[in-house]
Amino acid sequence: MADQAHRRAPDNQTEENPSANNHAYEELRHLIIAPEQEELADIQERLDDRARRTRDVSSVVAEAISMRRDQHGERALAQALAPTVQETLRESVRHDPHPLADALFPVMGPAIRKSISEALRGMLESFNEALEHSLSARGIKWRIEALRTGKPFAEIVLMHSLLFRVEQVFLIHRHTGLVLSHVVARQVATQDASLVAGMLSAIQQFVRDSFDSKNEESLDSLNVGELEVWIEEGPDAVLAAVIRGHAPSDYRLTMKEALEEIQQRYSSALENFKGDAAPFLSAEEPLIRLLAARHREPAAKKRPSAALATLAILGVLLVAYFGYSMYLRYEWSRFLHAVRGQPGIVVISYGREGGRYHIQGFKDPLAPDPNTLLKQAGLDPQNAQFDLAPYYSLDDSMVAQRARQLLHPPEGVTLSENHGELHVEGTASPQWISRVQERAPYIAGVASVDTSHLQNSHLLQLNAPKSAVESVILVFPIGRAELEAGQENTFAQIQKGIREIVYRASRLGEQTTVELTGHSDSTGIEGTNMLLSQERADNIRGALVRGGAPAANLHTRGVGATQPLRPEDTEESRRLNRSVTFRITFTPPSSGN
Amino acid sequence: MLQKKICMLGSFSVGKTSLVRRFVESLFSEAYQTSIGVKVDKKVVHVNNEDVTLVLWDIHGEDVYQKIHMSYLRGMSGYLLVIDGTRRQTLEDALALNQRVMQEVGKVPAILVLNKSDLVDRWEIDSDRESELSAAGWIILRTSAKTGASVEQLFSQLAAATLTE
Ligand SMILES: Nc1nc2c(ncn2[C@@H]2O[C@H](COP(=O)(O)OP(=O)(O)O)[C@@H](O)[C@H]2O)c(=O)[nH]1
Ligand SMILES: [Mg+2]
Repeated sequence: MADQAHRRAPDNQTEENPSANNHAYEELRHLIIAPEQEELADIQERLDDRARRTRDVSSVVAEAISMRRDQHGERALAQALAPTVQETLRESVRHDPHPLADALFPVMGPAIRKSISEALRGMLESFNEALEHSLSARGIKWRIEALRTGKPFAEIVLMHSLLFRVEQVFLIHRHTGLVLSHVVARQVATQDASLVAGMLSAIQQFVRDSFDSKNEESLDSLNVGELEVWIEEGPDAVLAAVIRGHAPSDYRLTMKEALEEIQQRYSSALENFKGDAAPFLSAEEPLIRLLAARHREPAAKKRPSAALATLAILGVLLVAYFGYSMYLRYEWSRFLHAVRGQPGIVVISYGREGGRYHIQGFKDPLAPDPNTLLKQAGLDPQNAQFDLAPYYSLDDSMVAQRARQLLHPPEGVTLSENHGELHVEGTASPQWISRVQERAPYIAGVASVDTSHLQNSHLLQLNAPKSAVESVILVFPIGRAELEAGQENTFAQIQKGIREIVYRASRLGEQTTVELTGHSDSTGIEGTNMLLSQERADNIRGALVRGGAPAANLHTRGVGATQPLRPEDTEESRRLNRSVTFRITFTPPSSGN
Repeated sequence: MLQKKICMLGSFSVGKTSLVRRFVESLFSEAYQTSIGVKVDKKVVHVNNEDVTLVLWDIHGEDVYQKIHMSYLRGMSGYLLVIDGTRRQTLEDALALNQRVMQEVGKVPAILVLNKSDLVDRWEIDSDRESELSAAGWIILRTSAKTGASVEQLFSQLAAATLTE
């Protein structure tokens, strides 16, 4: 109705009514531009309403990106998006690294492995080459040479280190620690797999908790007695290999590879695992492959029999060599032991150098030549080099030997050494004796000299008259200090003997001391007996001096009944105890006392 | 065969190890428990015509000196919350521990084990408290690791509960 009215209006009111005119104009304008205006308002609304705008853009955004990429190549778009994508990734990792890591795991593993294996390949190749050579005839020649020259047989050790055996492989559900699959090499005794798996994951967990809770990295191997357990963890599964011997480090790559394969192949089964291991039956296959990866025998594949024969020969040679070198080592240790026990040689260090034993230390000039000791031990002196600096040994036997060399003791004299004191025993000329007394203290290792058992050989001629005097016993009556009658002759002989001895000794440069000892029998009072015995000795001395004996050389003492010559069981014994006896000693004047 | 990881939880000296020791196959020495705080044992039970291997994580009892490694609970299908019936405090401690366990792993089947049932004259848990706990939804079993009473049943019952989950 309103529409009709508006449309009719211009016909009547155009001229006379300006306001009516105006109205008509509005109506006209409206008629012309209203639809556009409405459209504009709609567009305006579209632009203002965020939700609508978003909806509109969302319907074309994928096409737009794709179109943009087709038009200008990837670069512009990639450049525009890169900061945002980077920021997004960073934020995602910061928030929780696991989703991204888990998503990337199947991709990242092979990528990392590839770059590592590139680096390793060179090394492995040269390693394999070395191994092949070592099994060839040339290799053996090298080896024998290495053995002969005594070089460290690093190659053998290297080869030895390649021998290993994987005895068991466990596939463990990471979250629960339950065993998913378990394979065992033949003839290996095993324990309950579920217990081992559980305990392994407990230990893993413990290590993770105890050492670095933030870092998801954890224990990747552990030693159990002779065995090593290598552990490889993925997001949902854990591989554990029980290894005897030393596996090469690239075995870890093999494990990683197997784990990635399993992670990928069983990803949903791993995620939904509720304790039923049935879906993992087929996972045994990659585990068995891990088990089979024992020692590599690259050469054996090509020429098994030749390589085997070579190995056998090598084995025999090795055993022979080891046997021989063990024997030599044993002989050498015996030799070293002997050298160490040898007075006058001190071993400071020894070792093997260029196939020869090198022995360093000190040697006394008088000690035996070590090469002689070598020959005695049945060892080749060619194999040894001695580097022994001279020194003076203070070992008793070495000092005695040195003294012997310097003093030239005559026959009948023995030298011995005891902690710095040189004992000289026997009979020698007075010249030699004085030389000993003069020189011995200057010998290295000699602190003092004991010549008390050394006798002047010239005094031997005085032995007969000396013992003649010393065998005499002059006897006295009871309680008296005068000689019993009837001993005048005996006394005269003594007088003559002493005079002669003193005279002849002085001509040999010796001083004579005559000691007279007075005795009494045990009857009477002790004090009186002492006095009586002293008086008896003094009387005899007086008589001798009066008869011409030099007073200075005669000494007396009375011992009473304390040193009876006989046990007093008879009257005759008692009589002999009332006596005076003689003792004669010689002393060289130089030695003073 | 089905396997289930089960944890033994409770205060120090309530009898967790004794319960396990009575009915399980052991491989590892108990020294592990003091060194890493857990020992893994195994028990096979037969429920619902099926053999179920319970892999039992006997976790060292919590005390003032030693806190439980909560991460040991990861992936468990159920647990036994063991208390010593002659020490009321072990019940309160166990319930507090249970709160933390629920926070860590959510709700999984559990049995409240009142152990040392042979020591009746020293019993400290009154029947009011017990019915209060059953009302709160606890499955409660009185056991004795010493006499063996209800121990087999304990493990079978928990195994059955984990199967219906
Ligand atoms: N009388 C009795 N003693 C028990 C029982 N269970 C455990 N015990 C004893 O309680 C002590 C602690 O047991 P244990 O198993 O080591 O406790 P855990 O620390 O929880 O592992 C030991 O002396 C056990 O002999 C039971 O059922 N009855
Ligand atoms: Mg215990």
